Amino acid sequence: MIEIKNLTKNYGDRAVLNIGSLTVKKGETVVIVGPNGSGKSTLLKILAGILPKSGGDFTVNGSLYYMPQQSVPFRKTVKKNLIFSAKGENKEKKAENMLSLLSLTDFADKNAAGLSGGECQRLALGRVLINEGDFLLLDEPSSAADIEGTEIIEKAVAEYKRKTGCGILMTTHSPGQARRMADRIVILYNGEIAEEGAPEELLSSPKSVWGKKFIDMWKFDN
Amino acid sequence: MLLNMDRELLQIIGVTLRMSFFSTLISCLVGMPMGVIMAKSSFRGKRTVRKITGTFMGLPPVVAGLIVYLLFTRYGPFGSLGLLFTVEIMVVAQCMLIIPVVINLTESILSVNVKSLTETAKGLSFSKWKTSLLLLTENRFSLISVVLTAFGRSIAEVGAVSLVGGNIQWKTRVMTTAIMLETNKGNFTFALALGIVLLLISLAVNILASFLTREDRV
Repeated sequence: MIEIKNLTKNYGDRAVLNIGSLTVKKGETVVIVGPNGSGKSTLLKILAGILPKSGGDFTVNGSLYYMPQQSVPFRKTVKKNLIFSAKGENKEKKAENMLSLLSLTDFADKNAAGLSGGECQRLALGRVLINEGDFLLLDEPSSAADIEGTEIIEKAVAEYKRKTGCGILMTTHSPGQARRMADRIVILYNGEIAEEGAPEELLSSPKSVWGKKFIDMWKFDN
Repeated sequence: MLLNMDRELLQIIGVTLRMSFFSTLISCLVGMPMGVIMAKSSFRGKRTVRKITGTFMGLPPVVAGLIVYLLFTRYGPFGSLGLLFTVEIMVVAQCMLIIPVVINLTESILSVNVKSLTETAKGLSFSKWKTSLLLLTENRFSLISVVLTAFGRSIAEVGAVSLVGGNIQWKTRVMTTAIMLETNKGNFTFALALGIVLLLISLAVNILASFLTREDRV
């Protein structure tokens, strides 16, 4: 389980994150939504150990892998990117499975530097999924993908979760994606949890002021 | 003279290549990891270290030669090693000049993508060693230019090596010190021949570097 208690992050005098309590269990997908600058990526970076926290505490019981918003493809072929990221034995076989899961088989021997933004995200996801961690942190995993790419990513994550029973904490700007993937949605606003709950309930009738405001903005945008 | 490959000429080329190879190798082995640390880590005094390496980049070769000379002269702190006027001490003097260049260039190259790469590596739970390896391999093409710069600086250097090496015939005479000597003697043919060989070596190294930096175009 990932357990967060009173986690804070400040830049000088400016508080950017203040999470009272949040848990992610194994087998659960928690999707964080919120406007730009609400602290979604900051939260994931702290959990991944990339940013130091300012206060509070969190625990992660199990192995954890993180896919940043802008993951860099290594200067190798697509398949070698996956093999390089894999741990343990049978790296080649694992890489082939990932290529198939993410519809990247045709690109296997191509230089990853030549991939499009969406294909890069699929590769980045493959590098994260290949090690079968207990928890995944995915920061807008399909933000650069087209509709087909988004569908491949969502199906791959769902299939992976079904197979491994991992817990997932991810962020997105897409209400549709949040509805499709989440067991629980958390609305983050100004670094704080404005509201959380089951997708249908929360997206159709938000209770908090910030939740309503955010859903209104979403509706306007879609 | 070039076609006949004069024995002395061959010996001078041999000493020059040996000196340049080891100066470049040692400077890169020391300087590149330090450059990686400078690019990757934030630590107290990093700015000071950067200022020091920046200052040493502009160190005049004769000054470096003088410092090494004083350290290794018979009555100096390392005089007992008896290294003065050997190829080894020429390598030491050159390393003093080249290591700061390698540190600074490596840091500049890596700082372009160090943040995104280390973030990606951290997300994939790579060890520190694997992350450093990733940084070096991802920037391998740019880093080869650092090796070339180090080699270029080494093979073209004259002030420090003539001071600590003494330009001794059949022992520490290298291309640049020989060119200087032959020019002073008015032996322009030999000086020019050495100059041409120096250029040919430089061309060969550059061709090798272009071959190594060919990116896989799949």
